[in-house]
Amino acid sequence: MISIGVERITKRFGPVEAIADISLSVQAGEFVTVLGPSGCGKSTLLRLVNGLIRPDSGSITVAGHSANAARRAKQFALVPQNPALLPWRSVRRNVGLIGEVNRRPDRLDGGFPTRTDAISSPDEALAAVGLERFADALPHTLSGGMQQRVALARAFASGASVLLMDEPFAALDEITRAQMRDILLRLWERTGITVLFVTHSISEAVMLSDRVVVMSPRPGRVIAEETISLPHPRLESLEDSAAFIAHTARLRHALHIGFGDETTRPDQPTAAAETTDQPPSIGAGQ
Amino acid sequence: MTIRHRHLAGLAAPAIGVLAFFGAWEALVRVFHVRPFVLPGPWRIVCHLVENPDFYLRNAWPTVAAASAGFLIALIAGFAIGAAMAHSRFVERAILPIAVLVQVTPIIAYAPAFVIWLRFGARPIIAITSLVSVVPFALNTMTGLRSIDLLALEVLESAAASRREIFWKLRAPSAMPMIFSAARISVGLALVGAVIGEFFAGVSEGLGHAIRVAQNNAGLLLDQMWGSIFTLGLLGALGTLAVTSLERRLIRWHASARS
Repeated sequence: MISIGVERITKRFGPVEAIADISLSVQAGEFVTVLGPSGCGKSTLLRLVNGLIRPDSGSITVAGHSANAARRAKQFALVPQNPALLPWRSVRRNVGLIGEVNRRPDRLDGGFPTRTDAISSPDEALAAVGLERFADALPHTLSGGMQQRVALARAFASGASVLLMDEPFAALDEITRAQMRDILLRLWERTGITVLFVTHSISEAVMLSDRVVVMSPRPGRVIAEETISLPHPRLESLEDSAAFIAHTARLRHALHIGFGDETTRPDQPTAAAETTDQPPSIGAGQ
Repeated sequence: MTIRHRHLAGLAAPAIGVLAFFGAWEALVRVFHVRPFVLPGPWRIVCHLVENPDFYLRNAWPTVAAASAGFLIALIAGFAIGAAMAHSRFVERAILPIAVLVQVTPIIAYAPAFVIWLRFGARPIIAITSLVSVVPFALNTMTGLRSIDLLALEVLESAAASRREIFWKLRAPSAMPMIFSAARISVGLALVGAVIGEFFAGVSEGLGHAIRVAQNNAGLLLDQMWGSIFTLGLLGALGTLAVTSLERRLIRWHASARS
């Protein structure tokens, strides 16, 4: 698996400063979550990492190459907010979609690995998300949660070594969301894939990640980082543990600081304030 | 209620509408003793059709052939033009005024010009038919190719799919419902084109030709005029039915095709 390095990137869209000076790194096989409010540039960050847009300044490296080279080498699999399945294709053919495009990716002479674990074929990926019985169904006959499992299978079947996930479970109900976390974690443990996950849900971030990076409202910048020390496998009961609650509290606090909402806990010095060079601008871009 | 029953119930209203229309027509003609050379009753027209099947089959064939050829040319050319327009805003804005002009200028006005360019015969008829039905295909193809799921596009782009792959795997299938709705409009337009073409193209067969001949012999061939009109209506209905059933089969996935 491969690592990602984001080095002091900035990005504006016309007058809007989307991202102001973000640096972060993801180790090979690590599960890193970017946590932040809506509109803080999290999605922009994902699009920058997978080379669909370029930063105005700063650099992004993926296994030592450019983001765009990694994209051409099919190193990325995107799981968007909605399943984004093609409604005219059966579930199986949706899962196989990425295999049909860019058939001879430029791996730069071994600069990029090829994932060949047990779930890199469409049928195996479908079985891994428990949907082998629905392989021939059309997507609209499936529930929202099942559709998002198909999207997950599509991502794993692509053979990519980096999973980019943009609030993939935000539209699902609480029970389905817990199921999805479970499936995702099991697949991550099986494949050792590198994951960059974006969410605005604190508990989701804690439950899933090795490390959580907190972003401020627009223009997005990193205001805190939290290493999650919970053991694997992560069961739902962990949510009641003291460690889980402590992580959640610290992240919530960091988010409040990002909003310039320092009155919520005035008595405590903040981890967030220590990790940033300058105080976050109050309500910027909101 | 089973699906089959609901299907039959759905057919009741249109059937009643059609029967009421023709019933009223027939009653009007009989009650007021309208003379046949002014307006024959539908029953008389149907009897005339049934008594002269050879004549109508012989004359329907060239009209159907020209309309189908023009329809297919319009479909293919319209798809290509629509694809070019969807690809580039410049091309779209360059072609749009021409497309609108072609659509709003009455086809009958430039039909004679086509006959002068292409001489008498089937060629000007097919050309007129293509031209009159190409615009809906072009504009709907353009809109359809653009109305894609942007997240699906991003999924494909993240895997560095080529523009060609994105076109055939995402854009073209997404455009299918719009292309089918153009096809439903163009079935009628193609028949209009074929009949008008036959009016001017000096042909000796075809339903348009049969109507012209009847007009010049109004006293004698009134039945022939109305027989041709009925045949054209029937052909249009059959064409629409064919497009609709093809649509149901090919785009089962689309919301408009689900019951």
